[in-house]
Amino acid sequence: MKYITSRRKFIRSVACAGLGLAGTALLQACGAPATPVLNRITLEPSPTAIPSAAPTRTHTPGAPAAPPPSPSPMGISPTRAPAPSTALPYLAVVRGASAEEITRQAVHALGGMGRFVKAGDEVIIKPNICNAYHGPEYASTTNPEVVATLVKMCLEAGARRVRVMDFPFAGTPQKAYETSRIGPAVQAAGGQMEVMSKANYRQVDIPAGQAIKRWSIYGDALDADVLINVPIAKDHGSTRLTLGMKNLMGLVLDRAGFHARGLHQCIVDLNTVLRPHLTVVDATRILVANGPTGGNLDDVRVMNTVIASPDIVAADAYAATLFGLTPADVAYTSMGAERGLGTADLTRIAISEIEL
Amino acid sequence: MTPRPVQGRSGTPQPSAGRRRAQPLSHLRPYVQAGSLILFIVLVALAWTLGDRRSWANLFFRLDPLAGAMGMLAGRRFLPALLLSLLTIGLTWMVGRAWCAWICPLGTLLDWTPARQQPSAAFGPESPWRRAKYILLIAVAGSAIAGSLTLMLLDPIVLMTQTVGRVFLPLLEQVFSLLERAGFAISWTRPLVSPAVNLLRGTIFPLERHFYGGAVLTGLLFAGILALNALVPRFWCRHLCPLGALLGLLSRAAWVRRRVDASCIDCGHCARLCPTGTIDAGRVYASDPAECTTCLICQAECPVSAVSFTWGSIRPAPAQSYDPTRRQALVTLGVSLIGMGLFRSSPNTDLRDPHRILPPGGRENDLASKCIRCGLCLKVCPTGGLQPAFPRTNGQDLWTPVLVPRMGYCDYSCHACGQICPTGAIPDIPLDIKRTVIIGKAYIDTSRCIPWSEGRDCIVCEEMCPVPDKAIKLQETQVMTAAGQPVMVKLPHVERERCIGCGICEYQCPVAGEAAIRVYSPVVERG
Repeated sequence: MKYITSRRKFIRSVACAGLGLAGTALLQACGAPATPVLNRITLEPSPTAIPSAAPTRTHTPGAPAAPPPSPSPMGISPTRAPAPSTALPYLAVVRGASAEEITRQAVHALGGMGRFVKAGDEVIIKPNICNAYHGPEYASTTNPEVVATLVKMCLEAGARRVRVMDFPFAGTPQKAYETSRIGPAVQAAGGQMEVMSKANYRQVDIPAGQAIKRWSIYGDALDADVLINVPIAKDHGSTRLTLGMKNLMGLVLDRAGFHARGLHQCIVDLNTVLRPHLTVVDATRILVANGPTGGNLDDVRVMNTVIASPDIVAADAYAATLFGLTPADVAYTSMGAERGLGTADLTRIAISEIEL
Repeated sequence: MTPRPVQGRSGTPQPSAGRRRAQPLSHLRPYVQAGSLILFIVLVALAWTLGDRRSWANLFFRLDPLAGAMGMLAGRRFLPALLLSLLTIGLTWMVGRAWCAWICPLGTLLDWTPARQQPSAAFGPESPWRRAKYILLIAVAGSAIAGSLTLMLLDPIVLMTQTVGRVFLPLLEQVFSLLERAGFAISWTRPLVSPAVNLLRGTIFPLERHFYGGAVLTGLLFAGILALNALVPRFWCRHLCPLGALLGLLSRAAWVRRRVDASCIDCGHCARLCPTGTIDAGRVYASDPAECTTCLICQAECPVSAVSFTWGSIRPAPAQSYDPTRRQALVTLGVSLIGMGLFRSSPNTDLRDPHRILPPGGRENDLASKCIRCGLCLKVCPTGGLQPAFPRTNGQDLWTPVLVPRMGYCDYSCHACGQICPTGAIPDIPLDIKRTVIIGKAYIDTSRCIPWSEGRDCIVCEEMCPVPDKAIKLQETQVMTAAGQPVMVKLPHVERERCIGCGICEYQCPVAGEAAIRVYSPVVERG
């Protein structure tokens, strides 16, 4: 029998390749900082609300708008330029029958996707695809049209690549992507669905953390130029609602550890290092009971609403009102505001409400 | 694998170029074998990925007449899906045990495993040990008549499916996992690893590593079968394989027979090459059709082209000295029936095991008599919760599937085990009905549950519960802590009539070790 190579040559080449890889890994370990700098968006509520060009009913808060929430207390990732040049609404709420249109209008009202995504950016979009049980009409997973529209807008803004991912707690990701119909929609829009590998999480320091000081977070979400958070607003047994801040839990490796250490505090701690540049809350349909899994259409309310803001706390605070709750009812929201992650006081920010 | 070269064997006459015919068929055999083996592995590996077409992942069982016959015999029912094995029976009646040399994935691996070339005389053409496989076949049939399929784990397709699913693919997953971790650790290899993960994780490899009980035993059994090649090539096929025995019985009436014509120069080359060693130099190089696997090596390698395979009469082949006698056959049958009877008369406490959770529909079926132990359901289970049973008191349920919720839950969006089961031991229930099938009931261990015992909120079980209106309810209650402080806490309660026993609450329970919410079998039957 003829062999391609001799045994000795084969062993030698395997050893060389192994040494090379080990060397590269070593060099990298010496060089890279452990905690990446994440946020590039300035959290800056506009001093006064400016009516947007679209047919809107801009509701200007009675009191003069507050100064920006205390910029970066110790340990919270610094923000990045560019600041919006003209005064833009701090939060946009758009209602209308077409999920694509209201998503477009909401981002447009905030200054367009170009404010968040620059040409050549790597974008990661994190919807809520919590399991493979039901289609989007059951409101347990983010509306596929909302996600696909954001993918399109990112690509239009010049993104190099847009990846969409979640780590479902039940069922395989492929099946969950298919059942939620987010997979096909994203692919049609030109984005990529990614299976999150357990090997791609990194230990990250959480200097401002109170319950957790170090946790494993999905590496690519840390490395991405832009992270867009697209939760669906729905009922949740312990936190009352799962919204934007809670949705980021999908990017950590050990979720049971959050429960064991106090869910709300851990969610806030996570949000001090994982700072999405834009949060778009999908409230086209909301799940008002038996969440987060759902499965009963009686628990679904059609709201035809999308809420967008660079401030994750403000977006969550507004979303809570759709359930007849206040931000204080969803503890991580008010705790996040206290920690300086954003503002939960809806009377102090400029909100652009648009009806289509 | 190419046929072994003629050169280099002392005393072997060199073929004369003029008389040598082309033997296209025999040269195709390694390719057919490799194709069949690859198809087999791919089908097992893709069991999950095939989705609703996954009933074809059990193709080799449909072709396996032993699985079909024993499945129907023990299950006392007609299994139309397994009638495809009539193709194999037809093939065997035409050309003999060609299955063994051309299709059987285990036979292929045995061909590729180095083997002793000069076996001892005990393994000659008339070796009495050839009888063993017929004895095993009768034992398999006897226990099937008595209603147990445990001995089906000696079927080569069952052995191979178990080995690929529980040993080979998990080992491959470990290699992939190493590369994956190394690849993500280095920045420039990351773009290469991500596509591989997208392709392989959640498809042929699980998202998180699956563990299988009995993996070491399965691996050792398989390694042992390969190692028997050290005694004689294809020891398994000659002496042990019950499927080979069944096909051998059919081959006795095969149309195509091996013939040696008068031009034979008595060089003995064919007798040395024959993988099953059935060519008897002492009987003018005749062979037993029940042992011949129609590999055609003797025909291709004969220096004088004296060997041919031609259409012959349908007269059964002559009896051999190693055929089991009627007495041996009856004794074996009797022993296997009595043996199964003894198993039956010993108490099967495993059936009363409150943690014996069966896959949906498995409880309504008697798995011991309907499951052929192939393990495809374990392979396809996306959560790795289905495990091979290892009974403590009674062999009847050995390696039937049980759900171990702490290792994996029964996914609310999945009914793959029923879709893939070749014998319908796990019935193929439509997903919407499967979602209502009760496989167990969850009970909370309030002495360990975090809210109940520590007065802290937890709610993971309630969050995970997939039943639309939640079988686990949280009741906000004031409890006293150990220090005497009253606190408000959400206490989980199981609403028993809603619970389907899927076990995701037990799987996800954050309490370390044994979960604080556990699924128990819904009712105690038999025993």
